[in-house]
Amino acid sequence: MEEKHGMAKVMAIIPGLAFMVFTLYILRIYVEPWMAEAVVMGQKGWLVKVLSLNYILLAILTGMLYRNVLWSGKIPDWAAEGFRTTRLFIKSGVMMLGSLYTIQGLFKVGGIAITLIFSFVFGTILFVLWYGGRQKMDRSLIGVMAASCGVCGVSAAVATTPAVRAKPADVALAIATILGFGIFTMFISPAIGHMLNLTDYQFGAWVGTGILNSGQVLATCLAYNPNIAPGTAVAYGEIWNVVRVISIPFVVFFITMWYWRAEAQTEQTSLVRIIRDKFPIFIFGFFGMTALSSLGMLGAEGSETIHLMRQVMSWIFGLGLVGQGAYIDIRELRAAGGAPLKVGLMAGAFKYVLALVVVLLFVAKEANF
Amino acid sequence: MSEPKKNTKMTVFKTDRHEDMAGMFFVGLLVASILFYMAYIIPSVSIKAPAAGKVVAVAVQAGDEVAKGDLLYSLELKGKPEPKKYKAVTNGKILSVSAKPEDKVKKGKDEIMVLQHEKGTLP
Repeated sequence: MEEKHGMAKVMAIIPGLAFMVFTLYILRIYVEPWMAEAVVMGQKGWLVKVLSLNYILLAILTGMLYRNVLWSGKIPDWAAEGFRTTRLFIKSGVMMLGSLYTIQGLFKVGGIAITLIFSFVFGTILFVLWYGGRQKMDRSLIGVMAASCGVCGVSAAVATTPAVRAKPADVALAIATILGFGIFTMFISPAIGHMLNLTDYQFGAWVGTGILNSGQVLATCLAYNPNIAPGTAVAYGEIWNVVRVISIPFVVFFITMWYWRAEAQTEQTSLVRIIRDKFPIFIFGFFGMTALSSLGMLGAEGSETIHLMRQVMSWIFGLGLVGQGAYIDIRELRAAGGAPLKVGLMAGAFKYVLALVVVLLFVAKEANF
Repeated sequence: MSEPKKNTKMTVFKTDRHEDMAGMFFVGLLVASILFYMAYIIPSVSIKAPAAGKVVAVAVQAGDEVAKGDLLYSLELKGKPEPKKYKAVTNGKILSVSAKPEDKVKKGKDEIMVLQHEKGTLP
C-alpha cells in the first residue's frame, strides 16, 4: 500500500478504526455480559471466573482471530491504516492511567519498582548476552534478543536495531519469540495468581516485572482484576511497566556499547544522544496526569467524573488491544525457532519465574498507598 | 513503472516521537473535554452504587442542599465488618433519592440518588 498524506491519510484510517470500535462495542455490550451469565461446566459465569475471560482478553483474542483466520495472516489494505493506531491508543491509555496515582504514592512504591525492574532488566540482558554467545548466535541477533527479552518485546528491539545493525528478519524473530511467550503468560498468570492467593499489589509487581509488553501487562492485570482504580492490579502493574519503559534508552545505550566494543569499527555515540533520540516522551503525559490527580484537578476519588474518565480509559485500552491482537501473526510465531527461540524462552521463563519468587519472598502483601 | 513502496510501519505517524506527541495531545483533549462536560454541560448526575452491597442508611432526601463532605448514604459491603460511608464530593442539591435502607444494590447498575451539582464543580 502506498504511503498516504494529509486528508487522504485520515480517510484511510477511518475504515480500520471503525472496525476496531465496532468489534469492541460488540464484545463489551453483548459478549461480555453474556459470558457473565452463561452456564459452562455447570457453573454460572465459568468463562469469566475460571478462564478470567473479560473484554480485554476477548479483544486480543478477537484481533488474533481476525488476522489469522478471517484475513489469512495479513491485515487487509482497507483496514491496515486504522489498525496502525493501535500503539497510539495503548500509549494514550497508559498516560491516562497516570490519574490513578498521586506523586506521594508514586514515591512510596517507586523505590521498590525501580530496584526490581532495573535488576531484572539488566540481569536478563546479561543472561542473553552470555547464553546467546554460548549458542554461537550472530552478535546482531544477540543484541536485539537482549533488548527484547530485557525490557520490551517491541519498542526496545526496534530501538536497538540500527545500533547493532540487525536484519529485519532478526528483529521480527526476536519480537515474535518474546510476544509468543507473553501471550502464553498472559493467559496462565491470572490462574497462577489466584492459586497463590496473590494480592493485587503482588500480582501487579510480578506481572509488571515478568511480562515484557505494555499491552500484555495491562491485559493480564485487567484479567486478574477488571477494576481500574487506585489499589488494583492494573494500578500497581502499570508503575512497574512505566519504570521498565523509562529504562529503554539506558538499555539501548548498554547494548550499543557491548556491540561496538567488539567490532573493529567504532561509532560515536553517547547516552545523552540516545536519551534525546529514543526517550519515550509519552511518559511525561503519564506523570502529567499524576500531577493533575495530586492537585485534585481531575475530580475526587469516587466521583462520577473519575468514573467517566475510567470508563473512557477502558474503551481506549480495549481499542488498543483489539489492534494488538491483530498484530499477532501465528505464522511468524511458528517461524521462530532454533537458537533464538531457545534463548528467548530461557530468558523469558527465567525472568517470569524468578520475578514470582522475588515477589513472594520480598514484596509485602499490601502497598501503603 | 516501479512497484508502490510497501508500508510496514506500526504507526500512522512519521516517527515514534510524533506518535507520543499525538498521544499527549489526544489525552489532553480528551481529559479537558471530560472535565468541561462534567463541570458545565450536564446539570445533574445519577449517583449509582459504587459497589455491590446493601443500603444501610440514606442521610439525605429530595430537595436537600448538600455541601462537599456531607454524608449521603452508607453501604454494607460483602466481607467488610463496618458499613462504608459515601460523602458528597461537591456542593449541590439532591433532586431525587431512589434507594432506601435494606435495598440490595448492584455495582454501577442501581441508582442511589440524583445530584444537581454546582456549575463549575466536578461531581
